[in-house]
Amino acid sequence: MTEVALLGRRAVREVIRYPEATIPTLFIPLFFLAVNIGQVSKTFPSSTPFLKGEGYVAFQLPVSLMFAVATATSGLALVTEIDLGYFDKLLVAPIRRSSIIFGRLTADLVRGIATSTLVLLVGIALGAEIRTGVAGAVVIVLLSAFFGVAYAGFGLLVALRTRNVQATQSSFLLFFPLLFLTPNFVPFDRLSPLMETLARINPVSYVIVGLRSLVIDGWDGGNIAVCVLVIVVMGAVLTGLSLRVIATYDRS
Amino acid sequence: MLETTDYRSKPDRSVPSGEEPGAAIAARSLRRSFKGGIEAVREIDLTVRRGEVFGFLGPNGAGKTTTVRMLCTLLPPTSGTATVAGLDVVRDAAKVRRRIGVALQEIGLDPVQTGRELLELQCGLYGMKGERARSRTAELLDLVGLTDAADRRTKTYSGGMKRRLDLASALVHSPEVLFLDEPTTGLDPASRLTIWEEVRRINADGATVFLTTQYLEEADKLCHRLAIIDNGRIVAEGTPAQLKAEMGHDVVSVSVDGAKVAVTELVMAGLPGLERVVAEPDGLALYVEDGASSIPEIVRRLERERIRAGAISVAQPTLDDVFLKATGRRLEGQDADQPGAGVSA
Repeated sequence: MTEVALLGRRAVREVIRYPEATIPTLFIPLFFLAVNIGQVSKTFPSSTPFLKGEGYVAFQLPVSLMFAVATATSGLALVTEIDLGYFDKLLVAPIRRSSIIFGRLTADLVRGIATSTLVLLVGIALGAEIRTGVAGAVVIVLLSAFFGVAYAGFGLLVALRTRNVQATQSSFLLFFPLLFLTPNFVPFDRLSPLMETLARINPVSYVIVGLRSLVIDGWDGGNIAVCVLVIVVMGAVLTGLSLRVIATYDRS
Repeated sequence: MLETTDYRSKPDRSVPSGEEPGAAIAARSLRRSFKGGIEAVREIDLTVRRGEVFGFLGPNGAGKTTTVRMLCTLLPPTSGTATVAGLDVVRDAAKVRRRIGVALQEIGLDPVQTGRELLELQCGLYGMKGERARSRTAELLDLVGLTDAADRRTKTYSGGMKRRLDLASALVHSPEVLFLDEPTTGLDPASRLTIWEEVRRINADGATVFLTTQYLEEADKLCHRLAIIDNGRIVAEGTPAQLKAEMGHDVVSVSVDGAKVAVTELVMAGLPGLERVVAEPDGLALYVEDGASSIPEIVRRLERERIRAGAISVAQPTLDDVFLKATGRRLEGQDADQPGAGVSA
């Protein structure tokens, strides 16, 4: 545990000292939030049934939150470390290899909390009202941050498998279809049949629905439970795969 | 393979007395191949005694780094066995890592951290906490002369400073065996000298040092014993003096116009005591039993054929000659990138 804390502290220090790695990841979610609201807020006024009296910004806020936290930053940091040779230094230290992964994920959690808080505050400033109050806002931030941690496993996996900066950077692109094959603009029942089918089999949809319910609906145990389940399973699978790859790294 | 002489009889480069019995490093039939049938290391046998500085000399791609990575537990051998500090590098990898320090060819530093942070983290990874980690860090920074730069991020360090910090990070836990993979490659002469001094000091403090290098002078000046590796095989092993003595000849260098090298080589055929002739771009290297007494005959032959020699010199064999004899070619890049250029230590 100590080694995870040590490596986590180092990774967090990296986040703080390299704001230029985090700031661009905020640009896209804030840009999408502003553009989407500007384009469709008249189409979907607050009287629209699925908005339940809220502005469209409240409906879009979870999408921006996910954009803010789903990054390849940790993967990039890891592949850079492999490139520089520091990764070998860690491998030859008497520590569990898993602590290298968990140290990176610690930074993702901290980064996720910071960025999702910022995006949430921007959303509130643009008129979103969090129906679940301050407690709900905290849960939204935490769920978003943990989604970022879960998704970071993918970047780490690509970094370890390819050991290539470009490939790791490109891995972020996979998130676009995952995010857009969801009820991101309208609810499930307003999607075309094909899109609805794709959205319903896309686990990311249920994270959006869960977060959205905290903003628009109030406390909805079912939606939140499914959201948590998706994050846990996704995290377990992607982190598990990363742990497996690092455990066998250069051991064959 | 050659058996070593008792280097304790040489006070200037002796292994500390009171050494523990047994080998610090022992490899038997150690082999590593990679995809595509590349045989990087071909069943090498190696014994490094406790307390010695052991040099692993060879050109780029000879198998030095692959060997180090196997001995450091970073890479499993394809076959064969190796022990470090008496522990098997595969079965007891975790225990081996506690006993070794490693400074690999690529300087392993985190550019975002300061020198002090990096060393404190390294101390923490080896189980040192709080004041103990801080004082060990301060001690090491002082040891490698980086106290003034301790709170600067490592990305601002010069190559020599980075190498010294990397060396310090390999020393936090006072390892029994220290692996240094080409520790002076790319450094300026002054930085190389500093690293040489550090290596001597670390060794004097009791650590066994396994040092890879492609620099002959470095191997000659630092190492109690060395092995020459080429194309994945160890082709010679012994003390530098022993290896040179085994050459059993002097080297007479004859400088002639490049166009006449081939002719001169023919002229020297049958020279008494001649063991080998090596044609070089601007002359010949004649390996003869007794250089001084061969010169009159060499001059006579040159005059007879009206070949004008620029200079004739006699030298004792060098490790380059040892390398040449063992591999049939000179160690690449020595002239251009020899660390000893302008350096004496």
